[in-house]
Amino acid sequence: MIKKKVCMVGEFSVGKTSLTQKFVNNVFSETYLTTIGVKIDTVQIEDTKLVIWDIAGRDSLSPINASYLVGAAGVVLVADGTRLQTVESISEIWSTVREKIGEVPCVVALNKADLEDWCVDNTTIESLRDRGWDVFETSAKDGVMVESLFHKIVEKTKE
Amino acid sequence: MRVCESSSNIKDYGFPELQPGQVIDDAIDFMIGMDVNTKLDLPFVASPNGMSISVSLVPCGDNLTVLISDVSDTTEQRRKLQQAANENELLVERQKKLMAELERASRKLEQKNRQLEEASRLQTSFLSGVSHEFRTPLTSIIGYTNLVLNNLQKTGDEQKGLADCNNDYLSAVQRSSKHLMSLVENLLDHGKLDSDEIVLKPKPNSLKQLIDDVELVLRPLSETKGIEFNVIPPYNETATVMVDDSRLRQCLINLIGNAIKFTDQGSVTVDFNYANDTLQVSILDTGIGISEEDMNKIRLPFYQASGTGKIGTGLGLTITERIINMMGGALDIFSELGEGTLVKFNVHASDLGSLDLDSATRELIKTKSLDILLAEDDPFIADLMILMLKDWNIDVTHVVNGALAVEAVQSHNFDLIIMDIHMPVMSGYEAVLELNRIGSTIPVIVMSASAVEADQKRAAELGCSAYLTKPVDVQEIIETADILLSQ
Ligand SMILES: Nc1nc2c(ncn2[C@@H]2O[C@H](COP(=O)(O)OP(=O)(O)OP(=O)(O)O)[C@@H](O)[C@H]2O)c(=O)[nH]1
Ligand SMILES: [Mg+2]
Repeated sequence: MIKKKVCMVGEFSVGKTSLTQKFVNNVFSETYLTTIGVKIDTVQIEDTKLVIWDIAGRDSLSPINASYLVGAAGVVLVADGTRLQTVESISEIWSTVREKIGEVPCVVALNKADLEDWCVDNTTIESLRDRGWDVFETSAKDGVMVESLFHKIVEKTKE
Repeated sequence: MRVCESSSNIKDYGFPELQPGQVIDDAIDFMIGMDVNTKLDLPFVASPNGMSISVSLVPCGDNLTVLISDVSDTTEQRRKLQQAANENELLVERQKKLMAELERASRKLEQKNRQLEEASRLQTSFLSGVSHEFRTPLTSIIGYTNLVLNNLQKTGDEQKGLADCNNDYLSAVQRSSKHLMSLVENLLDHGKLDSDEIVLKPKPNSLKQLIDDVELVLRPLSETKGIEFNVIPPYNETATVMVDDSRLRQCLINLIGNAIKFTDQGSVTVDFNYANDTLQVSILDTGIGISEEDMNKIRLPFYQASGTGKIGTGLGLTITERIINMMGGALDIFSELGEGTLVKFNVHASDLGSLDLDSATRELIKTKSLDILLAEDDPFIADLMILMLKDWNIDVTHVVNGALAVEAVQSHNFDLIIMDIHMPVMSGYEAVLELNRIGSTIPVIVMSASAVEADQKRAAELGCSAYLTKPVDVQEIIETADILLSQ
């Protein structure tokens, strides 16, 4: 069986854990419990065993620990569509990834699409797409685009 | 990578027991993607049974050693710290966002405030402008009527030559009244601008007549200012065109009137062209021109160009452009401060060929005598209308309210009824209802001081044949009567 390691990366509290849990266990919680270090979950997608590394978000105390990225076949860059700075920091986080493991396949999740105070405009989305990334406006809460997001990254790691 | 050996305590962390020779990443998820040479520290990994472990990969020779240790205690401390820090950061972000929103809202409010102040300033200056505009013709009307009255009191020899004099005075009164009327119409139209109430009523018109009319009204204005006034009619000016003449006249008087108003020296030239069912007008003046700043605001209602010392209602252009658009045309203004102004516009007006409208009507009506019932409570208006209609060989029976009108209809056979709406005892509408009830088929022309469309609708619903707005022009009555009676 093919096994693929994929890392969830992004600023703190953007919904990396929520997206993973929605996809793997179909659960969602409003309560914010920050991830310490990394939590590893696996899920079977067709002939592939997907191993998702849900990594602690970058925060004011600590940068992303790049050690967790080693061996990853792809990354999911996650941002919070209601917090513009988390979208802006995608570039920087991508640089960290590239330095550590090179140009691995990548998809972008602009999460919390269910919320009112969404503040990402189309120009921003277009500029992300221009970098060759697939961009998904997801909601871990409603489950919108969550399946597509993970299926896409699996598909890209197999190319 | 395959397992060489393993300690048994890895089961304590929830990992399966490993058999030598087993493929490592089949059994341990975090080993997927690693190889023998990977040297790595993975702090704080959640183990399968939920413990917090630290993992170290240490290559040695051909082998890779994987060290696992329990770090639950430090994890707990770290969790508390990180949770608090992140929650705090989120609060700060939230606060910043709220502050930004607050600022945006207050800026918006400020802007709204400024707009309101500007609007109220414009309204005030508009009101003072309007009162001023009204005062001028009113003063002249009062002054000239006084002069006429004085003349009328003179007797004998004194009276010689006074008739000419009175004529001049009365023409002045008439001019002022017309001007006053157009001011009022402008004001009413402005009220309609927002409510889409302007309705066009195109009818056949002689192009030449229209142009002559406008010239006649405006020439005295240019003469008082001592500027040249050129009107160039189209080569095909004999054409009869389908257009709402009163609206078109309003536009022309507004635009040409403005050109004259803002020109103190030189000339105003109006050039008419008519082709392909379109009337094109260009108005070129050598006046003060329009600054770029004013150009942007000139189409706003109530706007008065600053520093020109000219006063008007400031409504003309707004209404004019609106009417031109309704007539399927467009208005363009080209100007520079000090360089004069060129105003161009076109309106749709279908060509009906060369009909002679005026004499056709006249002959038709003149040949037969008409019997008209006039219901009008205002004695002055009634007398005026009777006098004017007499001239057209029309017999008028006059009553002063609706009830008397109904009575009159029952005892005499009229050709036509002209009915005022607002009358004591029984209003015009009530009378029409009553006439309908008793089965009268005499056409009714309703006449009212209100030009509001709702009134016209009411009249149409009641089956009235036509609706005229005061002050009613006798020509209008004749034309309407002619159309009604030839049906
Ligand atoms: N409304 C809404 N809330 C969401 C969504 N996704 C996540 N959240 C909420 O956002 C908060 C953070 O979600 P997490 O999934 O813990 O975020 P994270 O990226 O894992 O955060 P760290 O582990 O601290 O890096 C939680 O309170 C979630 O309930 C979403 O799609 N819609
Ligand atoms: Mg998390």
